[in-house]
Amino acid sequence: MSKKPETKLTRRTFVAGTIGAAAAFSARPVLAAGKTLNVLSHKVHQTVLGSGDGDLLKDWLKAKDVEIAFTTFDSNPLQDRLFREASLKETEYGVGYLIDNRPTSQIAALFEPLEPYQKQDPIEDFADIAPGLVQGMTVDGKLIGIPVRHATQGLFYNEALLEEAGISAPPTTLEELIAQAKKTSFTSKAGTPVTGMVLASDLAVFPVMFARAYGGDFVSSDFKLVPNREAMESGLAALRGMFEAGSLPRSYATTKNDDQVTWLQQGRAAFTILPFARGAQLNNPEQSKYPGKIKAVEFPGSAAIKGKVAMASVVEAWAMAIPRNARDKALAWSFIKEVSSKRVTLGMAINGNGPVRVSTYADAGLKAKNALAAVEAKVLATARGAFPPFPEAARAQATFLEEVQLAVLGRKPVKDAVSAIIERVKPMMPA
Amino acid sequence: MQLPTTARLLPLLAPVHLLILSVIVLPSLYVVWLSLNMSSFGQAPSFVGLQNYVRVLADPAFHRALLNTVVLVVVAVHLELAVGLGMALLFASGLPFRRFLLVAVLAPYAVSEVTAVVMWRFLFDPDAGPITLALRALNLPTLDWSFEPSHAMTLIGLLTIWLHLPFTFVIVYAARLAIPAELYEAARIDGATRWQAFRRVTLPLLAPAMLIALLFRYIFAFRLFSEAWLLTKGGPARSTEVVAIYLYQEAFSFNAFGPAAATAWIMVVISLLLAGAYVLLLRRGGLAHAH
Amino acid sequence: MRIERWLIGLGKAAAVAAILLWSLFPILFIAVSSLKPGQDIFAVPPKWLFTPTLKHYAELWRSWGVFFEALLNSLLITVGATLLAIVASTCAGYVYSRHSGRWFGASIAGLIIVRLIPPIVVTLPLFPIVNALGLNDTHLVLILLYATFFVSLGTVLMRTFMDQIPRELDEAAAIDGASRLTILRKVIVPLAMPGVLAVAVFVIVFSWNEFLFAFVFTATRAKTAPLVISEMIGSIDGVDWGILFAASTVQLVPVLLFVVFMNRYLVAGLTAGSTKG
Repeated sequence: MSKKPETKLTRRTFVAGTIGAAAAFSARPVLAAGKTLNVLSHKVHQTVLGSGDGDLLKDWLKAKDVEIAFTTFDSNPLQDRLFREASLKETEYGVGYLIDNRPTSQIAALFEPLEPYQKQDPIEDFADIAPGLVQGMTVDGKLIGIPVRHATQGLFYNEALLEEAGISAPPTTLEELIAQAKKTSFTSKAGTPVTGMVLASDLAVFPVMFARAYGGDFVSSDFKLVPNREAMESGLAALRGMFEAGSLPRSYATTKNDDQVTWLQQGRAAFTILPFARGAQLNNPEQSKYPGKIKAVEFPGSAAIKGKVAMASVVEAWAMAIPRNARDKALAWSFIKEVSSKRVTLGMAINGNGPVRVSTYADAGLKAKNALAAVEAKVLATARGAFPPFPEAARAQATFLEEVQLAVLGRKPVKDAVSAIIERVKPMMPA
Repeated sequence: MQLPTTARLLPLLAPVHLLILSVIVLPSLYVVWLSLNMSSFGQAPSFVGLQNYVRVLADPAFHRALLNTVVLVVVAVHLELAVGLGMALLFASGLPFRRFLLVAVLAPYAVSEVTAVVMWRFLFDPDAGPITLALRALNLPTLDWSFEPSHAMTLIGLLTIWLHLPFTFVIVYAARLAIPAELYEAARIDGATRWQAFRRVTLPLLAPAMLIALLFRYIFAFRLFSEAWLLTKGGPARSTEVVAIYLYQEAFSFNAFGPAAATAWIMVVISLLLAGAYVLLLRRGGLAHAH
Repeated sequence: MRIERWLIGLGKAAAVAAILLWSLFPILFIAVSSLKPGQDIFAVPPKWLFTPTLKHYAELWRSWGVFFEALLNSLLITVGATLLAIVASTCAGYVYSRHSGRWFGASIAGLIIVRLIPPIVVTLPLFPIVNALGLNDTHLVLILLYATFFVSLGTVLMRTFMDQIPRELDEAAAIDGASRLTILRKVIVPLAMPGVLAVAVFVIVFSWNEFLFAFVFTATRAKTAPLVISEMIGSIDGVDWGILFAASTVQLVPVLLFVVFMNRYLVAGLTAGSTKG
């Protein structure tokens, strides 16, 4: 009984404390904007739009009295989330960023057809946006996304580390790349242990590039699964060989896309495969220990295909789409229209975005800022997507990557892994 | 007599039962229906009978996930109990600053799975983690969790033990405190050694509490999701996937709601079997010291 | 004999040191590291002496405003779930404590069993249902979920604590003409306060820390703090560990202090909640 007053006091102070804390939090100044546009995207999409004084959308935000709230995820989780949101009765998100290899007929039906918007309130000089990219976002005759970024993969290298290892020029064949990666797996002058090449293990892009370097593929654009078995085997054997030689990080299995950027910036790896547009970020003096030293070339094909077949690097295109169940579609379209304008496209390109407008490449300011524009334009000419869209593509990609990881880590002979890829992915292919 | 009473008591009982019915029971039954159909986004469900169960039970990835889960439950939970028991006996043998030590042991209970992952991921970071560096400096083998699946499972196991040891410890310690000191006195007078006293007095009297702690932890370890998801996402090569991650992947990455629902029901059945054993034990124990 | 006692003392001291290291080192490590200037976090060997800085906290405040909004969401959801769970389990616990019979025995066994169903199972069907009701991404859906997964334990706990309150007190109040609800409010609840607090500790710690439900059912408006930290883990750019440590510390400290102050009730609740049916 003597406990009674004490416990009462505890409860009262507890409740009072909670209310006090809640009040303190709500007192935090919130930007008083009239509306909020929720955008679901990758972090990089937010970054290229700039921030603070460099915010490319600041006039639009002021004019519309809008605040943008980005929710960002890594590529695959982002797509999972976007489709889940778009399948609801209503979603908070006005705009979602969509990768070109995901919209099947079923998925496309979750998004608003955009021709009517374009007709009513057109985007500036729409014909200037690369027609191939617009085509990729047209499903069942309906335009469901406005292209906003293309990411064409190139081979990045740290010139300073190559020099330290006595290498004077970047590789021109895959065989040379493998040899150079081995040479640059050393301890640099700065005392940092360097791994020749860093690659993420959760994206199909990289094994697909290695298979293509031998003239093969994972799923071709006409839906042939592993059209050239030997090429796939050679590609995976090359990756396996690099891992064995220590030219790939031992933590390969948990390495993510963002790690590639960090490793290059910190001088922990000499080579990586990333979109050309990342050049600016890799050389950013605020983040990089090697500003101006990180350069890029086309990812080289093997000696076997050199001069016979053009290397088909992977290009991935992103588009802005409006979920059918979005609340304020007019506001979403207004955002898309502004981001697609020539001015913002150029601004984003300078910030490291792969521009979707043909005219942007001609800009002198960009050429001065982005030395890679010319190489990129050349690689883009023969590039294609990692694989075409089909309903079970997500599962097919996961299965492919599982077998690739087993082969690279040496848990399964390469031949068996390729057999398993063919056998396991076959039932997932469209009829 | 009982019925009218029940009717008058209904308003007091309603909130709890309505919540449980609408949030747990009915949805679980809806999962049964889902598991008998094939469906995805933008696709109407079609009845397929037990096909989803066949598909899941025949999937090598499910077998691996189940095996991982079972290994984790068996190894981590028993290890946790052994450590918890040791700590309970240490505390009972008399320690200075006991209250402070008790609070220290309880601290991990307050830590969220997400924060715990942040801590342990950094401590064991293959390049910069202080524990990795310390082990390397001492020429001891490091935990190569980003490469070796077994090491990744070890880290998940360590993490889960760290988070749940407070629970196991408190249950066993409370039971140990409930053993009357006279029993040890009597054992000592009979000339029993420490070990004999432990075997004959401590262990039998702690057994019910230990069994309960075990069952509870079986059930909770079986649903483990966040630790593994945040640490490895099931990788490398899906080799550290547990059943809950398998379910999540089927449902939210591959959008295959049928197989996901079938997996969910397999989880429910296993949990209910364990839960049944638990309730049975309580009933028997409850009779022993009836209130 | 003296040597033996000395050895036992030494062994005990070593064991206590090991326990402290195991339980507290990871927590202290991130809390301390959150105060280290940038590169010192990665220093080899780790630096124990450094000039503490609030740089990472300032950076967190500046670039992760969403984290502080999420903290507020966590607070609202935690308070809501706690109040709901306490009211519901107190009412039901009272009934189960004062009445017995086959029906009551069966229904409490049912409550216990249902509580043991894995939460991930209900995410699948609840996702479309929550959505159809327009509750997606609201505080309410998490309040309901968190409270529901604790009302069965809460009921059992409240019953156990109320069993210790003599029935004569109810009867005396009933003779004075008090209604059942009044008896509960004026007589029982004040005496069962330790039980209420034990339930509160469980629900508060769970709601404040929960990840899976928040991950599945929230998007922007009701996002909780653990969710934002998990997003930070995903989008970390190597040198941002400091911000991550700062956020983890901010999320952890209030609930840790709470558990420290309420440790008596936590222990009482853990014991009563699992060993009494």
